[in-house]
Amino acid sequence: MPDIAISTERLTRRFGALTAVNGMDLQVESGQFFGFLGPNGAGKSTTIKMLTGLLAPTSGRISLLGLDFAQNLVELKRQIGVVPEGMGLFERLSAPEYLEFVGRMYGLDKATTRKRSDELLEFMQLADRSKTMIADYSHGMQKKLALAAAVIHGPRILFLDEPFEGVDALAAGALKELLARMTERGVTIFLTSHVLEIVERLCSHVAIIKKGQLVAQGSMEQLRAGVPGIEGRTLTLEDIFLSVVGQGADRAQIEELSWLT
Amino acid sequence: MADVSGRTGLGDQIRLVAWLRWRVLRNSISNKNRRLDLIGLIFSGFFSLLFVTGVTVAFFFVTKSLFEQHLESLFGLVFLALLVWWQAFPILLAGFAPQFPFRTLLRFPVKLSAFYLIGMAYGLADSAALAALLWMLAMLAATVVAQPSAVPVLLLTCLLFAVMNVTIERLLGAWVEKLLAKRKTREVFFTLFILTMVSLQFLNPLMQRYGHTLLPMVRSWVPYLWLLPSSFAGDTVAQFAGHHWGAAVVKLCGLAVYTGIFTMLLWMRYTQLYSGEELSEGVRPARTERRAALSVEDARETVTFLPPQVLAVFRKELLYLKRNTFLFFGLIFPPTMLLFFSVQFAGPHPTAFKKGVPPDLFFPGMMAYLVLILIAPSYNCFAYEGKGIQTYFTAPARFREILLAKNLITVSIILCEIVLCVALVGWRVGLPTTPVLFATLAAIVFSIVGQLTIANWASLSYPRKIEFGKMQGQRNSGMSVLILFGMQILFGGVSTLVLFSGRWTGNAWLPAEIFAVLAAAALAGYFSSLDSCTQLAEKRKEILIDALCR
Repeated sequence: MPDIAISTERLTRRFGALTAVNGMDLQVESGQFFGFLGPNGAGKSTTIKMLTGLLAPTSGRISLLGLDFAQNLVELKRQIGVVPEGMGLFERLSAPEYLEFVGRMYGLDKATTRKRSDELLEFMQLADRSKTMIADYSHGMQKKLALAAAVIHGPRILFLDEPFEGVDALAAGALKELLARMTERGVTIFLTSHVLEIVERLCSHVAIIKKGQLVAQGSMEQLRAGVPGIEGRTLTLEDIFLSVVGQGADRAQIEELSWLT
Repeated sequence: MADVSGRTGLGDQIRLVAWLRWRVLRNSISNKNRRLDLIGLIFSGFFSLLFVTGVTVAFFFVTKSLFEQHLESLFGLVFLALLVWWQAFPILLAGFAPQFPFRTLLRFPVKLSAFYLIGMAYGLADSAALAALLWMLAMLAATVVAQPSAVPVLLLTCLLFAVMNVTIERLLGAWVEKLLAKRKTREVFFTLFILTMVSLQFLNPLMQRYGHTLLPMVRSWVPYLWLLPSSFAGDTVAQFAGHHWGAAVVKLCGLAVYTGIFTMLLWMRYTQLYSGEELSEGVRPARTERRAALSVEDARETVTFLPPQVLAVFRKELLYLKRNTFLFFGLIFPPTMLLFFSVQFAGPHPTAFKKGVPPDLFFPGMMAYLVLILIAPSYNCFAYEGKGIQTYFTAPARFREILLAKNLITVSIILCEIVLCVALVGWRVGLPTTPVLFATLAAIVFSIVGQLTIANWASLSYPRKIEFGKMQGQRNSGMSVLILFGMQILFGGVSTLVLFSGRWTGNAWLPAEIFAVLAAAALAGYFSSLDSCTQLAEKRKEILIDALCR
């Protein structure tokens, strides 16, 4: 029986008349690098918010590491790291101050927090901006800091909402390597991204959500098997994604914009 | 080549900017969260209308009587009043009223000359300008009645004066915008603003003490007023009324020269903007600085009896206080005001009363004032968190700990201020009798702890984001303001009744005893409320995150 890190049962979230997530049953095994995809407004961020305690589900159940999330909120939060949508940074702190704050919030002692924050700042190439306020950082630098804060306590599950958005290619490369090594050590990574190439390269398993419902879930091979192939080449994640969620703007719609072409 | 069907005329562009301003205002009002603000807007609109109408009538009768009594030489003062209003009011309003980022119009295909003219039209549509134009119309109407022959010259003067004022206002606006665009200069500006506000409190006592020596000095500056453009405008009318045509033309030319100079300066400023001047922060590369290596001393835990989460939030709150210019410098307000009140109303020689307020009344009054001022931010204690609020929900911490840390900061600040103010009162007025001293101290504990209990609930229930270094639109939600007022009245009322119970019963220690019991009850209530606050935060987290992450 595989060790399940993330599990949801009939997970539903409604906003008035709109059902953003509708009866989702999701299972992510420990140590998986899991990509969570979907078009804009499909319910990705709502799902990740529910899985990290930022949003209460309307109904359904969430289990993390085999424990009920609602019943073991504080204990489970200790085991997860999050880069939320908007990054959740305190912008009037410097990067070392923020990392020390986060480390202490997760219960690390002062010396460990300081040591880890120094190492993380060095890794993220932020160490030479130790007195600059986060408000004065570029978007990419803020993203790197949010990632550093998400891993400072050594989480067992890492939730990353668009983690590479705005991060330069050099740092992104180093980060991908770091995340891959984390999964080798048994950390589960749950990632959302619109860059399908990144997801395809990094993730061992993928789920696709459309209009609040899971429409595909499995390893890349399982997903390929589930959609009609294209002769002469292996299906890419983009092919699978487009096949599952449907094409974007069709030719007739594009022709309406003929004045642009 | 862009497929644009035709050029937009200047008139259309001005109309579009006016439409945009109107929509921005309308949309901000129609937001259902701002309904209480709308009530405030209706009130302020009513009183503004009353004020403008009153001043319009005043301008009419002043102008009429100046002509009728042949006091045309005083027209300079009338124009000076207009000049001061036109320039000072928009600057005062800049920090508070909704602003339109005028510079953003540069992304559209507008020529520099069109950009300049749209800027002028924008300045003319300002509320201060509209009021001033109305007052000038009142002057013209009075001239029609009192001296019709002066109408053309007054009209010409008013037109030139209006153009000059709009130009100066736009110029000052552009400079203020440049000043406020960067966070550091914005904070320096607000620091100076707060210090000026504090200093102004002492204007009255200083005038009462040194006014007789200042007045002759001010009078000696009056002759130099002729150098001001308002004097040129006033003298043009006065010389024309006295049939000194040559002098009138010279004065009008003087006003035209002023207008020309300001036009040139504004043109230069707009040229800089048009050529792509970057005002925002974060463009220059920051200085590189590394953190010092960790010492053994640094690594040692200093406080061990509090959970690390409480210490983390406490430290973060301290850093935020230090970096929040408005709050940090606001801390000098209470002791300064206490000093001011002691000069005015108490001590051996009060300036406002013949006989000073006795320490037994002054001390509790001042402490109540202190609590009133310092507790207010606690009613919206997440205001400055911004997106950081998400960290509180993703971290393994309960809101019990977060609120405790925030309240500890508030209590520490109030404690420091109380110590300082007790020393000040002791020095200026003298300390009260022992029963009143103890009763007041117990009342402080009762009031602070009781109010913090309610304030925590209000902060979780009615959060409103406040941005650092900004004054425009930065205020608590209407509901939390109402709760704050209600609680201040309730706690103030109860405390007053209890304090006077000693007098009514003849038992001087009775208030201290009652307050001790109330303080103990408030403490018990406070600690038992913290767990409910944790549950409330969980229930209200979406509202909190939504309100603070905007």
